[in-house]
Parts: sequence; structure tokens; C-alpha cells
Amino acid sequence: MDVFIQIIATGATLGAMYALASVGLALIWGTLGMFNMAHGLFMTIGAYGSYSAVAYLGLPVYIGLPAGFVVGGLTGCITHLLIVKFMVGTRNFGTNIMVATAGVAIVLEDLILKGFGAYPFRQPVSLTGGFRVGNVVVTYQSLVIVAVAAALIAMTAFLLLKTKLGRAIRATAMNLDAARLMGVRTERTYLQVLAIAGALAGAAGVLISSLATLSPQMGGDPMLKAFVICVVAGLGHVGGTGLAAVSLGLIEAAVQYFLGVRFGFPVMLGLVILFLVWRPNGLFGKKVVVRL
Amino acid sequence: MIISPALRKNFVIAIAVIAGFALVPMVVTERYLLGEVIIFFFWAIVASQWNLIMGHAGVFSLAQMFLFICGAYTTAMLVQFGDLSVWLAMPVGAVVATLAALIIGAACLRLTGAYVALLTFAIAEVVHVLIITDTECFRHISNNCQQLFGGATGFSRFADFGFRKILKADWMLGNYYVVLTVFAVTIFATLVIIHGRYGLAFRAIRDNLGYASSRGISRFRYQLIVFAVSAFFTGAAGSVYAAHFRFAGPSLFEFSTLMLILSMVIVGGLGSTWGPFIGAAVMMIVVEWMKEFGDARNIGMGLALVLFVLFMPGGLAGAFKSLWGRIFDRTPKPAAAPDTNV
Repeated sequence: MDVFIQIIATGATLGAMYALASVGLALIWGTLGMFNMAHGLFMTIGAYGSYSAVAYLGLPVYIGLPAGFVVGGLTGCITHLLIVKFMVGTRNFGTNIMVATAGVAIVLEDLILKGFGAYPFRQPVSLTGGFRVGNVVVTYQSLVIVAVAAALIAMTAFLLLKTKLGRAIRATAMNLDAARLMGVRTERTYLQVLAIAGALAGAAGVLISSLATLSPQMGGDPMLKAFVICVVAGLGHVGGTGLAAVSLGLIEAAVQYFLGVRFGFPVMLGLVILFLVWRPNGLFGKKVVVRL
Repeated sequence: MIISPALRKNFVIAIAVIAGFALVPMVVTERYLLGEVIIFFFWAIVASQWNLIMGHAGVFSLAQMFLFICGAYTTAMLVQFGDLSVWLAMPVGAVVATLAALIIGAACLRLTGAYVALLTFAIAEVVHVLIITDTECFRHISNNCQQLFGGATGFSRFADFGFRKILKADWMLGNYYVVLTVFAVTIFATLVIIHGRYGLAFRAIRDNLGYASSRGISRFRYQLIVFAVSAFFTGAAGSVYAAHFRFAGPSLFEFSTLMLILSMVIVGGLGSTWGPFIGAAVMMIVVEWMKEFGDARNIGMGLALVLFVLFMPGGLAGAFKSLWGRIFDRTPKPAAAPDTNV
């Protein structure tokens, strides 16, 4: 029973972080058809943003999370205004944008390395202590992570489903031309999507760094997991991504417990590949019928 | 085999290029520079094979360095643990890389586009993490624990080609010509693929997938074959790399190395014939130049990637081609000519 609780507690924490990390990625893919290779760096920047706000500017700790959120969002906006804006709709957009965002990622990582150094920092924006469920200690930080992730994802869902902005985003994702004809300023929608995705990634970065440490490479591992989660869910399916994230978090926690920590992700990836051989469009991806 | 005029023209260029490189040691006697040219050969091979699979076959694979590493590690492990001569280990390395590509390809190539990129990237990264987190000792060398896959340090200081004994001070020349040979074979094989039947098949698939498949051209089959062929040469380059540097380690997995090769392909011109070779040379010079501004290598690479994709998506080869066309081709072109240089 303790084992079970332990796995649920770890898995839920992992799943919540993964969900937050991958929802933005799925949102960008769904709307712009672009794969953001710099997504991991958005997380890193969010984490460093919150660290700087607390450690250098001396702001109170509870400002840390919103700071990461804002910094991530700004990074998303800047990426759009400097690069994405000029590439949307050009030939080979899908491939070229991956290359360009990979370039952005490596530049940003190097800038962080130069600005803050390679020494890993502890994230000040975190809680200590915990409580017991049976014989298992559940930390307060895990609870905060699950709560914050759930709140932010619920907010995103509300934004997408109930507001005018969300309707514009969904319309753009469904049919670009029709959305334009109906008066949606798709150019602005793209900017908003990148800002939202960046902000979510920034918040995810703060949460992830609160469990580990801050380092210029910290975004790589969660980004890889977010990739895999998005692929399982079917690229661009935002709701499915959340579900896939939580289930994969639980599977990873179980594998880590029974086989050892290093096999958590490899086993997960193996399962994912087997799954994709069976369903090439992911769990929720639409089957595309090609008319010749 | 039918030799098309395009293939013949490129063969002539290839022979000239290789002859030129064969004469380089007569002019360049400095060992450092010769070493740089050898590194250029390695990266040019990987870049050209990546261009073959990404630019021509249309598979956005991010596993290119992984295949290189398969070759390097196989060679290193066979020499280190099996006491095999590198000359025997290198072909095995190339074959292992090919097999790895066949397995990865069979799993991933049913998918398309970004899915392939993500999965190949994830596979390479998982192997990387599994190797560096391995702590189980496979054997002990003078009280130092050595893992089966070299752990976080990798393999180094194993037997190399053996030119140090034969050529004494000129051992670098021996290495140079071995690498040049692999480079030359790779160029010819690549030209045959790009300008032969496979190239035609890929152009057909790209222009009209439906028509191509109704004529019996299977996307999956052709992509898998070319993925395996490019893996063979990439793996061979990796094997020779391991033998030349007497090193194979997890540092090869670094994201920045992958990005360096990608920048070579993009700067040279994705989907061109000679672009990756030009790109490899240009990027090596740029990186060397960036060293003078402190450690700005990664920033230079990243900026090159972004700027070229934004302003010169055809790369240097594309720019050169359009410039050439503007100067020498005065015949009026039909409006909206289909661009085959994707």
C-alpha cells in the first residue's frame, strides 16, 4: 500500500510538471504548425527569471512564480516578433522553424551560461517540509506543484474554451483562411499563442527547478519528455496532452520505483514507440485521410 | 547503371575536389592545419549524409550524430575489449550503425515530419543518458573501473591505425589519406544516390506523392534504404574518427555538436549537392574565427542557423545558384517554375 501511495505521489508531481511543460508546446503546434525546439529554454529562462527576481531584486518569494511566468511569456513574444513572424507561411516552414528555434535555443543557453555561470543554483522559490500519508512522506512542494500546475492548466482551458481570445486561437488552429475571413487577426493570435506558451513554460521551469537545481541545461530533460508526451497525445491536441502527461508521469514513477531511476524515461520511450507503431497519429490525433 | 549528364558533371567536380585534397599535404606541412582538414572531412561526411536524408529524402532525422557515435563506440569497444585491429573494427562499426538505422527507421519512418524529428532526438538522448549514468564495472584497468559502454568518460588511448610505427614523424599523413579515402568513397556514393534512381524517386515523391505511390514508389521503403545507406557512411566516418583520435565518449552526444553539423547543412544549402561540403568548410572557419572573441562558438552557430533560415533558406549553394543563373542564364524562364531544389 505504501508503495502504491509513493508511486501516486511521485507520479502525480511528475505528471503535473510534464503537463505544464507540454501544454504550451501542444498549443503552439496546434495553432502555428510549428515545433518549438526552444521550449526547454523558455523553461530555463522562466526559472532563472524567478531566481533573479528573488535573489537579486530582493522581491518576496511568492513573487517568484509570477516572475517566471512573465519572463517566459516575454521570451515567447520576443521569439515571435524577431523570428516566427517572418517565417509563418513560407515554404518548408515546418522544417525551417525547427532549425531556427534550435538556433535560438543554443544562443539563449549560451547567454545564460555566460550571465549566470555553469554553477547550479538552488531555487529559492520553494517550500520545505511535508506530511505523512501512512508511512510515505509527501512534501509540501509536491502539493504546491500539483496545485499550481492544475490551476494554470485550468486557466488555460478556460481561456481557450470560454473567452473571445480562445475562440480566435481555436479558429486559427482549425482553419486559417476561414479565421482570417471572419476578421480574426491571425498575426496577433500567433503572438498571443507564443506568449501563453512561453508563460506556461516559464512557470513549469520554476516548478521543475524547485525540485532539482537551476542550471543552463535544466530545460533539456523536461523538453524531451514534453516532446514525447506531445507525440503520444497526437501533436497539437491540448486536452489529450494533459492526460498523456499525467499517465506517463505515473508510468515513469512506477518504472523508476521497480527498475531504478535511470530506466524511467527509456522504458517510457520504448512504450511510446511501440504505441506509435500501432497508432501513428497518437492517442487523440486525427487520422488524416489523404485524397489523391 | 545509366550515367546521366548531371551525374557525369558532378563526377568530374568530385574528382577535381578529391585530387585537390590529395595534394594538400604537399602545401600544408603544419600538423595542426592538417588535423583541421581531417576534422573537416569528418564533419563534411556527416553533413553530406544528413543532407542526403533530410534535404533529399525528406526525413527530418535528428539521429545523425547518434549513428556516427554507433560507429565510433563499436570501433572503440572492439579494439578496447576484443583486442581487434582497428582495420577490422572499423567496417564492423559502419555495419552496426547501419543496423541501428534500420531498427530506428523501421520504428520511426512510418511517421512523418516532426514526429520523426522528435523520436530520433529522444532515442539518441535516451542512449546518451543510459551511457553516462551507467556505473556498473565491466572490467578493471589498474584499479580504475571501466563500464561496458565507457560510462561518463568514454574510451580513449586505444590502438590506432599504426602509422606511428611505419611513418614515424609523418604518421599524420597516413591518417590523412585514410580519412580522405573514406571521404572520397562517400562523395561518389552520395552523388550516385542524389543523381541516380533514388534521387528521381525522391523527387517524384516530393512533387506528387499520390502519383508516385500509384506508380509503385513506396515512400517508406525508399526512405528506409537511404536512411540505412547514409547511416553506413556516417557510421564509417564515426569509426575512422574513433581510430584517428583514439577516442569515443559521451561528449560526442553534446547538443552543440549536433547543432554544428546542422548549421553546416543549413548554411551550405539543404537539398543541394555540394552545399554541405561548402557549409562544413565555412562553419569550421567561422567557428575558428569566433574563438578569438572568447567562447562565442555556440552563439555564432545559433546565429548562423537563425539568420540563414530567415534570410537565405537555400543556403550558400542556393544563393550561388541563383546568382549564377542571373549572370549566365538569359533565357526567359516560364512564370512560376516549380522549384525542385527543396
